[in-house]
Amino acid sequence: MLLANKGFVTDAHAAASSRGMPGIRVLGTSVPCETNVKSEIEAGVAAAMESIIEALTKPLTAEEKSPKQSIDKHPRIVFTGSYEEVNRFFYRNGWTDGLAIAPPTEKAVAEIMTGTDLPADHVVAKLIPRLGKATVEKIAISAVMAGALPTHMPVLIAAVQTLTDPRSRFDTFEVSTGSWAPFFVVNGPIRNDIHVNCSSGALSPGDIANAAIGRAIGLIVKNIGGARKGVEDMGVLGNPGKYSLVLGEYEEESPWEPLHVERGFKREDSTVTMFLPNTYIQTIPRDTNAKGLVETYASLNPGSMSCLLVVPSHAKVLSSEGWTKKRIKEFILENSAPPFPPAQGGQGTPILPTKLSADDLMIVVAGGPGAWIGLLRSAGGWENSFVTRKIDLPRNWDKLVAKYKTVVPNSPDIR
Amino acid sequence: MRKIFVAVMLGAFAFTAGQQPSKAQSGKSTADSQFKVLNPWAEVDPIAPRGISPRLDTLAGKKIGLFANFKRASRPIVAEVEKRLKAMYPNCETSLFDSRGANVVETETKNREQFFAWVKAVDAVILAVGD
Repeated sequence: MLLANKGFVTDAHAAASSRGMPGIRVLGTSVPCETNVKSEIEAGVAAAMESIIEALTKPLTAEEKSPKQSIDKHPRIVFTGSYEEVNRFFYRNGWTDGLAIAPPTEKAVAEIMTGTDLPADHVVAKLIPRLGKATVEKIAISAVMAGALPTHMPVLIAAVQTLTDPRSRFDTFEVSTGSWAPFFVVNGPIRNDIHVNCSSGALSPGDIANAAIGRAIGLIVKNIGGARKGVEDMGVLGNPGKYSLVLGEYEEESPWEPLHVERGFKREDSTVTMFLPNTYIQTIPRDTNAKGLVETYASLNPGSMSCLLVVPSHAKVLSSEGWTKKRIKEFILENSAPPFPPAQGGQGTPILPTKLSADDLMIVVAGGPGAWIGLLRSAGGWENSFVTRKIDLPRNWDKLVAKYKTVVPNSPDIR
Repeated sequence: MRKIFVAVMLGAFAFTAGQQPSKAQSGKSTADSQFKVLNPWAEVDPIAPRGISPRLDTLAGKKIGLFANFKRASRPIVAEVEKRLKAMYPNCETSLFDSRGANVVETETKNREQFFAWVKAVDAVILAVGD
């Protein structure tokens, strides 16, 4: 039998059902989540003991012995209605992110799927927690809902593949109480093909690629993976980054090797790199010479698994004084606080990294004119790492890019 | 005067014509258009559900497995359960399994064989999530 805080009982049942064990006896206790207050644990267990004994000894019901298979019907055409009616219907079914969605008609979905040569029924991945099949069509449906363009489809497919790479530990992080959100760095020529913002306000709203790709992933996680807020996605506080956290590396303004080349890809490849932070902070250095910059980076105490955002002007200052990405990482490793205090206690105490590793840090040049430094922070020590995936392009890519090239804001080009 | 009047009227007409809704605007509004939409919810490969194991008639003389998830509260919870079980059933044995991953499917980890061996050796399992 399973003991969980009463707020996690539904989550426990959903998890067990998704694995074919709907009858697992789950007992909700009053013990607060992750508490180490002895009196709370003692009181909660004391109150639960009788029920624990009962869960182990009370004879099974017929349903517990032989649970019936529940057949969920999922019609392909799910609704017909006006724009408002579609939105209300989708919202009530829990299929949106709270914002209005573009109705995923067959025509709109077919258009999005011109962004890939893969057939509509090709299964790109199976997403936790319910192991939903992310077919090309299902990805395209969420893409339409999010307002994406067909030219975003190759990025979305690669992004879904990063989620299901075991090294991402998406299975642990996505539904965690920590509200971790996937953050994507796009590298290579595709950034300019589809207007991924690398400069001013790269992480702010306003660019279709940055906004829609991230938003589509959020909808994919929810509607394909089945991670419903408060049921499977147990993020305690939530994270606005779950709407979208996508930017491009400003390779043209960087004196250094771009991220994807560092990670073993060719400069002419287009890639997407992902990890799952739940923290995004910004600060301004006291001094903008190289010493002032690296000392500020170290003072941020990146912890384990972080991405440092360095604006182009700072990258140039650092590079002019002989600082490479590697040297900056080494400085941070030597001069920042360890990610976790040394483990205490005996058997069973979690063993978390007490020393930062260079593999836990990513440096990306991005942003506009200005002096701000950005840091996105996740948690390492869970056999997780950054994941980079090459973006595969369809045969008609050049034509597709030409078709959507002019979908840009009609404002002065500030890039 | 008449020419000025006509010019003004022509101008007014031109202005008003420019304000008429475009063909697209004068068609159905989005409020009226009907959208036949596809289902975003994904299919899953069906998993045949299995029943849970038969219950014990008593815990006396039994070996109870205590599974601690990789969460801070989990270990102290199972320790408290163990203490109370032994107080209630002095001849009940307990056996602890410490997971090294939070909320992982133990059978899909490198501890798989160890886990299976542990499960086979106990009569029942109490798992504390710690959340």
